[in-house]
Amino acid sequence: MIKTTTGRLIVWVDRCRGCRSCQLACSFTRLGEFNPSRSCITLDRDLETERTAPMIKPLCCDLCEGEPACVDACKYGVIEFQPASERLIDVRM
Amino acid sequence: MRASGESVCYVDLTKGKCWREEMPPEAISPYLGGSGFGWALVAKHLLPKVDPFAPENVVTINPGVLVGTRTLGSSKITAITKFPTIASEDEKFYVGSCTGGGRYFGIGLKQAGCDHLVILGQAEKPVTIHVTNAGASIEDASQFWGKGIEETSIELVRRFGDDTGVLAIGTAGENQVRSALAIVDRTNSLGRGGLGAILGSKRVKAIAAHGTGGISVAEPTAFNGLSNELLERAAGWPRREHWIKLGLAAGWSTFKHTQNPGIWRKERWDGLYGEEKRLETLNRVIACASCPLSCRLRWVIPDGEFAGEPGLGSPYSKSATSGQLLNVEDDRKMIHLVTEANSLTGIDYYTTARLIDFVTRMFEQGRLTKSDTSGFELRRDYPTYKELFRMTAAREGFGDVLADGWMRLKKEFGLDPQEYWYAGICKGMDFIYDARPSKFHPLMMTFFTRPRPHHGGTHTRTNSRNKTIEEIREQVEHWGLPKGTVERIFTETPYSGKFNVGRYTRYAEDLMRVKNALGLCTIYTYQALMFADEMARLYNAATGDDLSTGELVLHGERVSNLAKIINVREGFTRADDKPPEVWFRPMDAPEGRLEMRDYYDTKVLTENDVSKILDDYYDERGWNPKTGIPCHEKLLELELHEYAPEQVK
Repeated sequence: MIKTTTGRLIVWVDRCRGCRSCQLACSFTRLGEFNPSRSCITLDRDLETERTAPMIKPLCCDLCEGEPACVDACKYGVIEFQPASERLIDVRM
Repeated sequence: MRASGESVCYVDLTKGKCWREEMPPEAISPYLGGSGFGWALVAKHLLPKVDPFAPENVVTINPGVLVGTRTLGSSKITAITKFPTIASEDEKFYVGSCTGGGRYFGIGLKQAGCDHLVILGQAEKPVTIHVTNAGASIEDASQFWGKGIEETSIELVRRFGDDTGVLAIGTAGENQVRSALAIVDRTNSLGRGGLGAILGSKRVKAIAAHGTGGISVAEPTAFNGLSNELLERAAGWPRREHWIKLGLAAGWSTFKHTQNPGIWRKERWDGLYGEEKRLETLNRVIACASCPLSCRLRWVIPDGEFAGEPGLGSPYSKSATSGQLLNVEDDRKMIHLVTEANSLTGIDYYTTARLIDFVTRMFEQGRLTKSDTSGFELRRDYPTYKELFRMTAAREGFGDVLADGWMRLKKEFGLDPQEYWYAGICKGMDFIYDARPSKFHPLMMTFFTRPRPHHGGTHTRTNSRNKTIEEIREQVEHWGLPKGTVERIFTETPYSGKFNVGRYTRYAEDLMRVKNALGLCTIYTYQALMFADEMARLYNAATGDDLSTGELVLHGERVSNLAKIINVREGFTRADDKPPEVWFRPMDAPEGRLEMRDYYDTKVLTENDVSKILDDYYDERGWNPKTGIPCHEKLLELELHEYAPEQVK
């Protein structure tokens, strides 16, 4: 696969189950340890409903050189990656 | 040996002091870490025969070794304490464990560098325990006392941030209702047997945990590679789509047989509480940390008396079985009671519903009268049930009797729990499953070999009906046992059928101790999505140890024996390991008479058969079959002789 630092991350927030796998995978790939606090993803948490939604920090995320770890880690299809000529984070309901 | 040790955060509520101790790898390794070492901490700090509600009782809360990593279902924390459930007529209390998942609390403890939280003493006033990178601290909780679980949990997360995990007790825990639970992260119950009541006696309203530390593994590449393989396997499981649509209710096709009280016809139950009905209240399915299946639910009651009421947790088998027992056809009414239990009181729904079923029937038969109930008429109707739930949580009127559980009914009114007609009671604890519709399989056995490892039971393939002997054997082949042992398990006997439930249970329990120590959800081994040899590889990659599968299971055996001898010093013997009498009485279900039969349905089991199965269990454990107590040689072999109680010496 061609390594790239551009591309589109599409975040389907309604699909999120709150398992935090994206945060764990992100920190592990970047830092070699599991650490949600230092992940490029925060989990927005609605306390009334316990609904969660991953929020990707654009200045932190480097798209893992074109193979975003969070995409593979999420088994609920919340985060998708599409090649693109620029870096985009596209949040969808 | 492991490469790293573990950190223990102590909280002494009597002295108002908190401190942290680092334990070296050589202290942790024999017990694997997590709840395995949690048992060693209990052995060290809990003196025999103390009253569960006394300040001398100890609670350890132990996130699993793998909690905070990304691997299959690694969310579980285990709490160990002396539970307040009255376990015998002579008022013994068992020391046990309870396990639950969550999304924030376990990770919060680990990120704060707290592998074990040890709670000692008793606070004078209500407190919360706050665990951060700096360690544990004790904070005033006057404003939370009397508040519900939901309100307390939300306020603590608002105060400390979205990543905060909260374990909270409700009003039933405050009132020391003996069955009261704690609730973790609002969605996961923890503490069947009464952890909530113990925390209430210590005046701990809640524990909040969050930190910023990283969680590292010894061999990152190997750990990540195996984790990816396991996660992919679970993601490709053919039943996954159904599971993630319904959560735990996806198990209905099995549970409608194994948890059937045999009062309604199955079609009627299916229509009132089955999958289609469940979808009417289902709002969303929520996962625990690192879980690709997800089984927790958020529900919203769509209409009726409780229209619009939301709830969190897992209402499904609770409401379904209790609905049938109490003859409440409207699932919304039973789900409302689950909502109150999970978000407000923390009362144990299973235990309370069964107690109410028992006493209302006894009232109907005239064996309880108004003079026994402070004038309250125990009718067989929903308003009475609802009021009894409330009175129990508040210890108000006759609710004070129910709050003390089955043994108080016997002591005060001569109502023997062994008369109860569904599932059975052993060591003061009612069971979720009944061995007559379920058949006699290893999970049934762990109900009376308690102290059993926990997480809804010791789940293996045998929990589901009609698994072939080859499927059962395939799982056992992964347990790292010597060939002769496997042959013993699969030697047919006239009393246990095609496989020996007693011998099988010993290893299933030891493996469950391993899962508890590692923090792994048992659903994955139950569904054959993870095997014991893979657990050994995960453990080694995470800790730097080099255990074979057989050695891993041996470590589980050490923890099982330690748990046992702690209970031996409380006075438990074989006489307490008694299957409930109801299993030997036929259940007259609308579909026909159900008797307790072996797994493959070849014969009705007698008390003598079960006694022989128990003999085999003790034999396989190397325990004295007459007393049910570990032999000195076994404790020497496991290097546990320093803990040997008088009965063994």
